[in-house]
Amino acid sequence: MSRVALVAVLLAAPAAGAAQSTTSEMLDRAVRYHAELDVERELVILRQIVSPNSPFIVTQAQRGLAYKYLGAALVVRGQADSGILYFRAAIERDPFTDLEPQKFTPKELAAFGEAKRLTFAVGVRPVTPDTLDPRTERLTFTVLSTHAAALRVELRATGASAALPLYAADNDGPRELQWDGLLGDGRLAPPGRYELLVTGQSRLNQRGDSTRLYFSLEHDHLPLEDTLPALRPDELLPEQQPPGLARGALLKGFGLTAAALLIPRLLANGDVEGGGRTLAAGMAGAASAAGVAGFVYRQRHREIPANVAANGRRRADRATANASILQRNGERLAETRLVIGPAAGVGP
Amino acid sequence: MNARRYIGAAILAVSGLALAPGAAAGQMSLHGRAEVGRVEHRVRDAGMVQPSAGVVFGGALGVLVGDRFAVWGEALGGRLASDSARGEDRDVAEVQLVGEAQLRPWLTAQAGLNVRSYSTQLARQRWTTLRLGAEAHVPLALDGVRGLVRAQWMPVVSVSGLGHPDIALAAGAGVEWRGPRMSVRAVYTLERYDFSGSAATKRLEEVSSLQVGATLRLRTSGPRARDTAPSP
Repeated sequence: MSRVALVAVLLAAPAAGAAQSTTSEMLDRAVRYHAELDVERELVILRQIVSPNSPFIVTQAQRGLAYKYLGAALVVRGQADSGILYFRAAIERDPFTDLEPQKFTPKELAAFGEAKRLTFAVGVRPVTPDTLDPRTERLTFTVLSTHAAALRVELRATGASAALPLYAADNDGPRELQWDGLLGDGRLAPPGRYELLVTGQSRLNQRGDSTRLYFSLEHDHLPLEDTLPALRPDELLPEQQPPGLARGALLKGFGLTAAALLIPRLLANGDVEGGGRTLAAGMAGAASAAGVAGFVYRQRHREIPANVAANGRRRADRATANASILQRNGERLAETRLVIGPAAGVGP
Repeated sequence: MNARRYIGAAILAVSGLALAPGAAAGQMSLHGRAEVGRVEHRVRDAGMVQPSAGVVFGGALGVLVGDRFAVWGEALGGRLASDSARGEDRDVAEVQLVGEAQLRPWLTAQAGLNVRSYSTQLARQRWTTLRLGAEAHVPLALDGVRGLVRAQWMPVVSVSGLGHPDIALAAGAGVEWRGPRMSVRAVYTLERYDFSGSAATKRLEEVSSLQVGATLRLRTSGPRARDTAPSP
């Protein structure tokens, strides 16, 4: 039993691809018959393709093409109204549907024009993956209204409320719009997903239509350098003397005073009855004064000018280095290229 | 004769201390100093104390070699007036050569040869002394101001007419301000010399002084020397 299932699967697997290629071959034959004005055979094939009971897989594009040739065949056959209906069906599926003047008769072209007048639709062609330099190149959007209409085309980042209007005026037929990659503030559009919204209102029947195109935008530039981090406390010299320094200065002054007073007492020979104690007292007074002055000065001036200057130099060096990095990064960003690709919706 | 050998050795020691770093150092600066001081000289001989005191004036030239070594030549003189009617006034004159080596930022070793003479109307006495010592510096929080304490030992003292003293020591304390080109210092120094003899007849001498000096950097050659004047 399992062998039977396996054989069935193996036989069915290529069937889908074969069916699609069959549809393609049938369309080719229909187009060839149309060129040979053999509309009866053409109609048979095309009706097989568009039939709901068709055993073949038919893509939207193939179905649109089949409708287009069905419309043309019916017009050639003298059934213009029916032909227009199929033309409209083709246009509704793909507003960019058109008849090549060198392949179709004026009668077919006229009927197709009528179908476009009766059908209002706006469309936009999908973007193709591309990389462009916004300084010299532009991203081109092709939009279309099937007939005269007030057309508005806006670009916005998904989720953003502000929109950049690319076009807002009357339009009839296809139109190419170019975008330089800048947003309204003059800055390069940041990376992300974008939405192109096309809305239109027919000038003929006041009907409205809209369509959206999503695409992704990425920046491509040389890697940016990191700026230097802020100086940590351990990278800076202390800018203030510790509070104990003033007391230390006072103690040192008193220590020096004591030394001056003790020298004649300890070193001098008592039998000489001298030792220059008056001179020592004078020196002790000077040492005391220096110690007290140092204490008072340090209480009022705790800053360390040399360290303040050294820290200032370090900060200035860092600022200079960061300015250079920012400049180099700016130069790299100025050469940013935009990588455009189609996207499905506002996000994954 | 023994003293002469000591003095010769002292000259060698001072010269070596002063000149040894010359090859290694690329900076030299010349400094000049003027000083004035009050000197008290007391002599106890045969149980009598003869004090004298006066003002001395002096000058010095110093060569700073690098940041660590210096050599100073100094001369000073003045008249010491006797405090008693029995005593004699005397003139004092002194020359000395001192070499210094900074061992630590706060500690300097010193070695010097000092020749001093006391002259009265009747006689002249000459002292030749080899001094070895050290000077410690203590910053006093004010910019450029530091205290100093020094101690010296005189292993060789040759005095005309007298023997070698048993004790020959000196100590001092002072305050110094050092500016970019100039420094000012005040130093109190006490020298003690105890000669041998019985307690009653023992000769004792003591010289105490308080000297104030101003040092000025006169000239710098080679790569920039430190901006502060050296301490003598």
